[in-house]
Amino acid sequence: MSLTINQVSKVYGKKVALNQLSLELEDGKIYGLIGRNGAGKTTLLSIASAQNAATDGEVLLDGKKVWENDEALKDICFSREIATTATDSRNTSKVCEYLRIASILYPNWNAELADELITEFGLDRKMRMNKLSKGMQSMVTIIVALASGARFTFLDEPVTGLDVVAREYFYKVLLDEYAKGERTFVISTHIIEEAANVFEEVIFIHEGKVLLKEETDSLLERTVHISGKEEDVDAVCDGKKVHHVEKLGRSKGVTVLLNPGEEPDAKGRDVDIRPLSLQDVFVALCGKEESYE
Amino acid sequence: MKEILNQEKSIYIQIAEMIENDILRDVIMEEERVPSTNELAKLYTINPATAAKGINLLVDNGILYKKRGVGMFVSSGAKAAIRESRKAEFYDKYIKSLLQEAEGLGIDKAELIRMIEKEDK
Repeated sequence: MSLTINQVSKVYGKKVALNQLSLELEDGKIYGLIGRNGAGKTTLLSIASAQNAATDGEVLLDGKKVWENDEALKDICFSREIATTATDSRNTSKVCEYLRIASILYPNWNAELADELITEFGLDRKMRMNKLSKGMQSMVTIIVALASGARFTFLDEPVTGLDVVAREYFYKVLLDEYAKGERTFVISTHIIEEAANVFEEVIFIHEGKVLLKEETDSLLERTVHISGKEEDVDAVCDGKKVHHVEKLGRSKGVTVLLNPGEEPDAKGRDVDIRPLSLQDVFVALCGKEESYE
Repeated sequence: MKEILNQEKSIYIQIAEMIENDILRDVIMEEERVPSTNELAKLYTINPATAAKGINLLVDNGILYKKRGVGMFVSSGAKAAIRESRKAEFYDKYIKSLLQEAEGLGIDKAELIRMIEKEDK
């Protein structure tokens, strides 16, 4: 099974949210979707799950269009942030009622897992949706996503407002659920570091396009930070594309993406070559005025 | 088994090294089963594919072997083999950087040797 996003564009008025974006999601992987605010992450996930119409392009599940395709949509769950309409003061439905609707939508609903999560999170199932705190709203969206049993499950900022214990618990349950079978998860997050090791692959989204899609391991292996005296750093980086240049006095620090398999070569110069965290790589590639080739 | 992962090295290499450390310290004995990739993934909150990469590295080096349908086991002779390969790395990893730092600080060989002997007593 695979989900193909083919040349998808989305335009809101004059704003281009997605710009002919193509992406292939394989079965049985955990993807991290990373991008700055307004990069197009939520728009991408909502179009991939047919909750939102594309201006142009198409989304295919095993070659079949997902738009208005009820069969395909049973296999795709996008548990998005609970809309303000759901937490509006007039919305007095209870958590258990909200979850019951989800259980009808997804034929592979795992009621046992949903119960376990409610208990572990300490969520009150009789609580009214309009009374939920930010963290509790995240818990509800996590429960829907994990219990949906959908083959392709998207989580948009699932850990917003959750304390560190609840976040850790979420990642463990996610790995448990993932270990059981063939599910694919796409998780967007701004808290990159704590999730980095969970992602088999990362997708960087920048200005409505896919900037990079790569195995997390290999990306981290080929990204290095080189620092030292400016002329030494320049000599080592000669002919290489450098990112995120920082200068202070005679010192200079740059981030370099090596080719896969390429080793950093200090050429006898006295420079420090260090690995970077995924968060640092993201800042280097998607930070201000930097371009990536 | 539970050590803390850091950013300095690839996670799969750290997983392999931790299993090696456990073998060296008799936490896991030869011919015993090592934790599965899913157990490791959950313990360290890492992707199972990464854990598998670490395990496979040890299989390639002959430290672990696979028993079909049961799991991964520590080969007999693994402990001695790990010691040997760590000794081989010792010069590059410790001595070289020690000498480099000493040179930068202007510590000569004689002084260095005095320091090592002082530590001995």
